[in-house]
Amino acid sequence: MTGRPTPRLAEVIPLDTEGSRRPPTFKVLRYHEESGELEVVVGGGDRFALTPAELVKLARDALAERTFVAHAVPDDGVELCFVPHDDHCDILCIHADMRRRHHGDHRRSLMEILNDLAAAVACGRLRFLTPAQLKTELERGSVVLSRPVTDSATLAVARADVADALAELGFSPERREETILCLSEAATNALIHGGGHGTLTLVDLEGRARLLVADSGPGLDFINWRESGGSAQASMGYGYHIILDHIDDVCLSTSPTGTTLILDQHPRRPEVMSAC
Amino acid sequence: MLTARLEQEAVPTIYLAGEMDLDCADLLRETVEGAADGAEQVVLDFADVTFIDSSGTGIFVRLCLDLQVSGTGLRARHIPPVVADVFEMLKVQALVGEETFLD
Repeated sequence: MTGRPTPRLAEVIPLDTEGSRRPPTFKVLRYHEESGELEVVVGGGDRFALTPAELVKLARDALAERTFVAHAVPDDGVELCFVPHDDHCDILCIHADMRRRHHGDHRRSLMEILNDLAAAVACGRLRFLTPAQLKTELERGSVVLSRPVTDSATLAVARADVADALAELGFSPERREETILCLSEAATNALIHGGGHGTLTLVDLEGRARLLVADSGPGLDFINWRESGGSAQASMGYGYHIILDHIDDVCLSTSPTGTTLILDQHPRRPEVMSAC
Repeated sequence: MLTARLEQEAVPTIYLAGEMDLDCADLLRETVEGAADGAEQVVLDFADVTFIDSSGTGIFVRLCLDLQVSGTGLRARHIPPVVADVFEMLKVQALVGEETFLD
């Protein structure tokens, strides 16, 4: 407990009007308790604000207390979130230019989007996968259908085909509706941020459905995230928020060669929702 | 795919049909701006909208806010449940004002 920065909310970090114009970044490290290794899961290896030894110490603290811990490092514009799991601790590092935190209109700021992701990891609703873990997940279940998503027209076809297939898999109408909404959000992200081309695959996992949305874009490091928000692109930044609110289990694998989002959904809503 | 049909009623009214996603921005903006020429209000009828996501919602919100600035009130009516669910999720009423919704 000694020397630990006081956990703080993003909103109380002082506005850094002289801050850099460096693009916002999002990185994930994984500390493996048994081997003591730090593994890069998302993003590159720099700009973590703290040294590896300091990161390991905070990760050990989070694991010992079995508690999600968030730290702010205001001078560097960095937030660090430590999320303990059974045998490892995920370390989410969010770095953002303070002046770009809010648009001043109806759109959500990148900081809010990133904090959604951090909160979802803390709640266990979102898992970041290493390439090896992704490979394992891609081998599960049997493929029901696969569709390219390259524009609004192919996205509409994908929505319709998946809706029919979900009905066959026993999804209730309301469950189908919210799942199709999430599929649309995920595929739209692939179109806008993932290089303009994605592939949608529906997999039967026996008892639940899995939607895979894969693109070959530059990865979800937010370096290339479009925040200009002209009238033609009126995204509100709520895509991940909606997905994380309505999908039972979400997995994300992202690298400079592409992003894969995995949405696992039971045909009916769980009767008891988690506290998150 | 979305279609938009403008009827010059007492208040210019645009009947929307189909799906509102990332691709409806140009159609909706052109139709609404054409109808808004000198009008105090323009009505969007959502009765035949079968799907909307956050991109479609964002386009609607942006149009409402832009028209407010130029002095035209954009109004929405006959919101089906599939649209109402998403509007509620995204707190659209708070963003565009409750007077936007006619029923």
